[in-house]
This record gives sequence, structure tokens and C-alpha cells, in this order.
Amino acid sequence: MGTKIVILPCSGIGKAYGEIGRQAVYELIEDLKPDEVTTTCLARLMIDDPEVKALVNENIVITVDGCGRDCARKNVESSGKKVDRALRVIEAFKQNRDLKPHGVLELGEPGFKLVHILAKKLDEELNCLKGEEE
Amino acid sequence: MLVEIKQAKVGIIPCNGEEICEGTLTRFASRKVLDELRPNNTVTICLPLFVAGDKGEQSFAKTFPTITVDGCDKRCSQISTEKLSGRPRFSIVVSDILKEHEIASPESRRSPETRDQAAVDRVAAEIARKVDEILKNG
Amino acid sequence: MSDDFLEVTHDKFLFKVKLGYLYHPEESWAKEERGLITVGVTDFFQKVAGDVAFIELPEIGAEVSRGGEVGVIETIKITVSPISPVSGIIKEVNSGLGDNPQWVNNDPYGEGWIFKVVPSDWEADKKELMGAETYFPRMEVKIQDEMAKK
Repeated sequence: MGTKIVILPCSGIGKAYGEIGRQAVYELIEDLKPDEVTTTCLARLMIDDPEVKALVNENIVITVDGCGRDCARKNVESSGKKVDRALRVIEAFKQNRDLKPHGVLELGEPGFKLVHILAKKLDEELNCLKGEEE
Repeated sequence: MLVEIKQAKVGIIPCNGEEICEGTLTRFASRKVLDELRPNNTVTICLPLFVAGDKGEQSFAKTFPTITVDGCDKRCSQISTEKLSGRPRFSIVVSDILKEHEIASPESRRSPETRDQAAVDRVAAEIARKVDEILKNG
Repeated sequence: MSDDFLEVTHDKFLFKVKLGYLYHPEESWAKEERGLITVGVTDFFQKVAGDVAFIELPEIGAEVSRGGEVGVIETIKITVSPISPVSGIIKEVNSGLGDNPQWVNNDPYGEGWIFKVVPSDWEADKKELMGAETYFPRMEVKIQDEMAKK
């Protein structure tokens, strides 16, 4: 198993949770764990891009789905890779029900609070995963 | 029993590419078209849901004309759309538009900054122009 | 097309109405099986309400009235109490919805059922509900109203 962790958000455009998942992944990659985590385009995986397929197949993969349709998880698994962790943005919302994003892409302050909460949750999951690997 | 209500609609399919800044642009430009520029005549298709096999997304894309909006020349949205529902009416590549109009790419993959609004507006205008072309010519 | 549903498509959204169920105007459905009435919310309801994040289920043994609010459904957009289409005593609740609220969205007429009732007067309640064929055009009007709001 490779040393990198690949996080794939669904980035679904129809719902705020898709954007929240995406932004949380960026916060994790750019601010919290810049040396350990990366992302790539889910869509590139789905067109069988060899570079992305290799990245996904050779490393730990976490999916972050905006809703119960689980598109990121399903798409990764249809490429032949079993995901190591499948997370849902809605779990962060359940524990913070007062935070409602303003719009689908314009999340507003409450939406970005959810982003921070989810990014921290992702960070914790990664630490758990690393503990399991050791 | 299935009843279909057919109105003039165009499906916009952004790639949502997570890896590059232009992937973020595809989302914001597409939503701008849906929410502001052509709210009565457009629908956005969620690419991951479309590829995962959602009947609603795939059925729409087979029935109505589509415009794919890709961040780069890997053209993931165009390729997936061709595979699942047939050739899109138009295929837009954001990096090409920015180059053509000499607009700098955003520097961040996160939400566009104020300085990136010109890029969002330019891409959205191009999408809207293609929507109008489809609606005019059928 | 399906033999089990009446369906209509608006844009990319497919709205379904399950044949053989009875419908309350406030977007709940009822299905009688071996003396128990299973209750859930309609496909129209779940599409308009959005992704369900949290469900507060009614208590087993609680009394419900036709037209009364039962439990709470919370989505990212709204918090709303479904309306019971039947009067009686709650016999069973779908406890799986606690961990899987998305069942309401993914399968509102099947896995997303919410509670089951021992009815107090099902014959009387039935008369106040609509069959699928009667409910369907009313749903279409509501869909048009929702689209017009956008």
C-alpha cells in the first residue's frame, strides 16, 4: 500500500453538500495535511485516465459524498478499487443542525463553518486510518 | 404510465474537476448560467451522478441537447457524455476560452476570488451564447 | 415506463406515484397490509424537501390522528412534520432511518417507510384518501407551481 492518501469528493453541483465536501477536501489538502493527502479529478478516473487509475489503485482512497446517492464511492468502486473509507457530508450537518448553507455554491458563513467542521472530521479519520495501518 | 413534459431546455454538464482551478470555474460559470443568465432554459447535470447511472440525469441528456464544460483538454465531461448519452451539441474547454480572451486563470482551486469574476463571467457568457444558439436553431 | 408507478418527468426530475397506495393531500401515503397501515411520504415530498439529514420517529404506542403531525423530518432546507393519513396507534417504526435517513429520498415508497399503525377506523379514513390516479394530476399541478417559483 502506498504512503499517499487520495481523497475524492463527489463535488456534485446540484446541492450545497457537494460544494461543502469539495471545499473541506481543499482545506485538508492545502492547510491541514499538505504533505500526506492529495486529490484528483473523479471525472478523470471515470474516463479511465491511466495516471489517475494508478494513483487510486496504489494508494489509500477516501471518498466524500454530498448525499446518500454515494456517487464518489460508487464511481471509484466501479473502476475496480474498493474505497478505504466512505464518508458523507451530511454526517457533519447532523451534529450541527443550526448551520445551513446560504446557497449551492455561495455557502456563506454557516456553510463555511460546516466546511471547517468537515475538514477537521476528515483529518481525524485520516489519523484513525494511519493508526490502523501501523 | 409515463408523461413527458417537453419544454425548450439545454443541459449543462460541467466537469467539476477537482485537481485544477479551471475545474472550479466550470462549476461557478455553469451555476451562473442556471441561476442568473438562462434560468428558464437550462438544467445542470451532475457529472458524478450522471456517470454513476442516475436515470434522471441520463434520460435528460439523451432527450435534450447538452453542452459540456471542461476545465482542461482532457475533456472528461465531453468523453463521459458521448459515452453515456451521445455527442453534446457543444463542448466548451475553459482553458481555451481564458487563453482566447487573455484572462488569467484563477490561482486557487477554492471559491473564485473577486479578481476571478471576469473569468467566471466570460465562461458563463460563452455557455449562455451556446444555449441561445441551440434554442434558436433547435 | 413502469407498471408499478405513474411517472412524470420535469427537466431531469422523474416524479413517481406508486400504484396501489392511498394518498393524503399533505404528501403522505398509506398502504394496508394484514390489518396494519404502513405510512411514508411521497416522492414529491422528498424531492421538494431535499436530502433528509435527521428523522425524529414517533413513539411506539402513541396515538395518531388522520391529518395530525407525526414525527419530524429535517433536511438541509426545511424542518417539517409529516401528516398522518390514518388514525390509530403506532405499532412499529422504521428504526433503520436513524442511521439511514437517505432511505426516504432513495426509496420513499419502499425502504423509506416511516411508521405502521393499527387503525382505529380504516374504512372511514380510506374514504378521505386518494388513489394514485386521483393524486397524480394534483401532484402535477404542485410540480408546476414549484417550477414556477424558481
